[in-house]
Amino acid sequence: MGTCMVKMPRKVGHAHGYDDDYDDDYDDYYDDYDDSEDAHRSNHDMKGNISSQKLPVAKETARKPIVWSCSICTFDNEESMVVCEICGVFKESFVKSGKEANGIGNDTAAGSMSTMANTQPGKMPVKVAAKEPISADSYEKASMSYERGNTLHSTSTAQKVEIAMLPQEKKLSQPSATLSSNHKLQENLSDTLATTKDSSEVIASSLRQINLDRDRPSASTPISDEQYKPDKWIQLDQDNEALRQLNLAIVGHVDSGKSTLSGRLLHLLGKISKREMHKNEKEAKEKGKGSFAYAWAMDESAEERERGVTMTVAVAYFDSSKYRVVVLDSPGHKDFVPNMISGATQADAAILVVDACIGSFEAGMDGQVPGVAGVGQTKEHAQLVRSFGVDQLIVAINKMDVVGYSKQRYDFIKAQLGVFLRSCGFRDSSVAWVPLSAMENQNLIVPATDARLTSWFQGKCLLEAINSLQPPSRDVSKPLIMPICDVIRTQSMGQVAACGKLETGAIRAGSKVVVMPGCQPATVRSIEQDSNVCSVARAGDNVAVILHGVDSSKLMPGGVICHPDFPVPMAARLELKILVLDVAIPILIGSQVEFHIHHAKEAARIAKIVSLLDQKTGKASKSAPRFLKAKQSAVVEVALDEAVCVQEFSKCKALGRVFLRANGNTVAVGIVTRLIDSVQ
Amino acid sequence: MQLIWKNLVPDGPGTVKLKPVEDDDMWHAYNLICPGDTVQATTVRKVLREMASGGRDAERVKLKLEIRVEAVDYDKEGSVLRVRGKNITENEHVKIGQFHTLELELHRPFVISKDIWDSIARDILHQASDPAASADLSVILMQEGLAQLFLIGRSITTVRSRIETSIPRKHGPAIAGYESALKKFFENVLQAWLKHIDFSIVRCVVIASPGFTKDQFRDYLFLEAQRRDLRAVIENKSRIILAHATSGYKHSLKDVLESPNVMNLIKDTKAAQEVRALKDFFTMLSNDSSRACYGPRHVEFANDRMAVETLLITDNLFRNADIAERQRYVHLVESVKDSGGTVHIFSSMHVSGEQLEQLTGIAALLRFPLPELDDLEM
Repeated sequence: MGTCMVKMPRKVGHAHGYDDDYDDDYDDYYDDYDDSEDAHRSNHDMKGNISSQKLPVAKETARKPIVWSCSICTFDNEESMVVCEICGVFKESFVKSGKEANGIGNDTAAGSMSTMANTQPGKMPVKVAAKEPISADSYEKASMSYERGNTLHSTSTAQKVEIAMLPQEKKLSQPSATLSSNHKLQENLSDTLATTKDSSEVIASSLRQINLDRDRPSASTPISDEQYKPDKWIQLDQDNEALRQLNLAIVGHVDSGKSTLSGRLLHLLGKISKREMHKNEKEAKEKGKGSFAYAWAMDESAEERERGVTMTVAVAYFDSSKYRVVVLDSPGHKDFVPNMISGATQADAAILVVDACIGSFEAGMDGQVPGVAGVGQTKEHAQLVRSFGVDQLIVAINKMDVVGYSKQRYDFIKAQLGVFLRSCGFRDSSVAWVPLSAMENQNLIVPATDARLTSWFQGKCLLEAINSLQPPSRDVSKPLIMPICDVIRTQSMGQVAACGKLETGAIRAGSKVVVMPGCQPATVRSIEQDSNVCSVARAGDNVAVILHGVDSSKLMPGGVICHPDFPVPMAARLELKILVLDVAIPILIGSQVEFHIHHAKEAARIAKIVSLLDQKTGKASKSAPRFLKAKQSAVVEVALDEAVCVQEFSKCKALGRVFLRANGNTVAVGIVTRLIDSVQ
Repeated sequence: MQLIWKNLVPDGPGTVKLKPVEDDDMWHAYNLICPGDTVQATTVRKVLREMASGGRDAERVKLKLEIRVEAVDYDKEGSVLRVRGKNITENEHVKIGQFHTLELELHRPFVISKDIWDSIARDILHQASDPAASADLSVILMQEGLAQLFLIGRSITTVRSRIETSIPRKHGPAIAGYESALKKFFENVLQAWLKHIDFSIVRCVVIASPGFTKDQFRDYLFLEAQRRDLRAVIENKSRIILAHATSGYKHSLKDVLESPNVMNLIKDTKAAQEVRALKDFFTMLSNDSSRACYGPRHVEFANDRMAVETLLITDNLFRNADIAERQRYVHLVESVKDSGGTVHIFSSMHVSGEQLEQLTGIAALLRFPLPELDDLEM
């Protein structure tokens, strides 16, 4: 998941490279996160299985630092209160930590704790006041009455079993039985919890560490992402969705046939009507560019057709047997790399199209003009998609017909490019190689028929390769973040729609959102996907969101739509960890660069080179160096002309990946490590 | 700038009378006038007078004042120089020691006296009064959705207009939206063109952009010129040239000035020299990094070893309010010159100067490699 572009052998026992270092940091975080997500999910499952009909109306309310509102009666209680003053329901975070423990423990020990937390506040105070010792019986009674009271979810069945298994818990919980007042009960509740935890310690001491760890997040800063609890609708029917969305970027050197390949795919899969295709063919022939017929399906603007070059990222959709694929056909021309960056950052996987022709492949690798330093777009794009976070790549070796389906050529390209891809940080196992011909329809959606190809190639065809991609992971349980890729205004309706991919969270019609920059509140009127209205969009979906109540002039590509309680920070000065690519001119203090982050771009300059990082250990090896040369990694500070929406990479991957370009080349890729002057 | 008379001793005191005649001259004057100098000019001041009846009366009086400079303020948009200081000549309206701000304007002569006319100041004076051809060039730097119109003079580059619009991506049926948005964008650029480009001043107009935006705009321009009968455009078609730029941001202006066909037009000017010198610096840095350095500490270190062959320095550093600091740089420049090196003083109003300023404002190409530099922290 790192942003490795280092030409460095990936030694197995040597897990300290730049990339690996990131991997580690990031993986730690991610594992951590995954756990809690799992905990949530298992918790949800449990809810669903055991007492789905008694689910509380768990309306999601963001907790304010001073008051918390009851999930049932919405009464605003003071922070110090553990239960609601009006209806006696437990404070959410309190229950949540219990629930989490429940999920993690996943067995009796931790479960008992949460049950206790759940049962005691309900009807228990009465019993406690009556000085009844808390015994297994009372537990049960309490929980039963609690359930009857129809408040929070109960796991009484599980609890019965568990209490039977924990006889010694009785005596451990004795002290709390002496409590005489409701008030006192609250004060001592934590004690009780601790005792309970002690008991669980006896049973499963190994779980203790996890339990403690689990408890920590809920005690952190007032508004942090950890405290976000997704609404119920966000997670529902997540698994029974028929086809998962896959954002597939098609990248490669100019004239390698990206648009033609995309057009051909769409045509073969019946996404382009016969009439349309016929029209394109006729028009292309009229212009004397017969071979562009398929590309024209993607390149719709007159300018692009005129010049036969894709200029902006085109979006198209098709369904494979496993995925709903969103094709992002990107421009290959050197001058349009910024467009490619802003259009294709949303990719989950990518097809790298390589021209097999003699000379064309070489141009793609080493740049168009011989003698001029710089890299071709095959290399630049591969590096870029890797730093978008894409780790699965299909290399489509196109125009095999021109080289007579020669195995020799295929092997040559595979060897040359393979070394480079490895140096970028693509694992061999996640790179698929597909020789094909888009013009002659070989090996696209069905295996090849030409004997010259079938004689030596028995692998997957392109569509199969797409289907065998691993489904990308999605973060629905985090607050909504949707970088705006594009804004479409419909003059007649006065409507304004923001297009983009949801990075985390979910939205539905009627959701309240905030548009950054500007912090403008807005309401989602409807959501469209490939011109079809859909009710809910979740992380990973590429949609057009029609907004209501927002000044359309303030809605710009590069902005971010986010959850009203979790606005994305803005910053104009950032600390980055960067890796310098193959650049001729070293990066100096004060170098001017174009700064690309998600869909935003801004002019920037290097304000400070903090330190050089050692390639092997990732530790700072030299502070304040004179300049950065190719393939060095470093910590730098950049000053942007204007603030952009940005987030530390550790908090949000999509908003923390940056690309620095200068003189028409990508000079460095990196991640945001710190926001220096963030403005809310 | 017209030098009306001059009475000065090199590295000693002296007085000159100057008359600014074009926008660039204000910039030279800004570089010339330092805190501590005295400036004499005609000015208008509001004077309060107490009348015999006890009432007060305000009156605007035109006077000739001489002030000792405390601060200089340059307005690059309006090309006005404001000099603030204390009055030193007795006057019936203004007492000695009273503050006054002189506003220096075009075609109004003024007199500067300095205690020390150092080499830098003499250079500026020489340059300013040199009637060499000025490089009046207009550049429209654009990319889809962003256009900037620059006017490049001899020593200053000004942004005349900046147009920014959001252009949607192509999107199936919304393709018409893309096209109309682009057309509207071009229309805005054309309006800016008509407002700011006067072919009697500029030698030529460069349209620069990455990709095809420049061609698209030129086509649009010629089409509209025919349609609306814009004589200025039609008659000067040959003076409109295209150039490639890597982006639409201001720092790409450097690429435009470097491109061969533009370089030809401005080759003998200061702007072109600066662009070339900076390019040399970068080439050296990438080819033999121990023979190039930047930052005051490193350059002084190199100079101590007589290693500086070419010194690049921005005029900003001489404008330092701290006299000692200015002296330090003046000495550096003189010592480089003495040891046979060349010195380029960059105008911080040009892109190349702006870029150099970002790189700490000072850089040098060395005669021989100094690998020790790598061990010296910035």
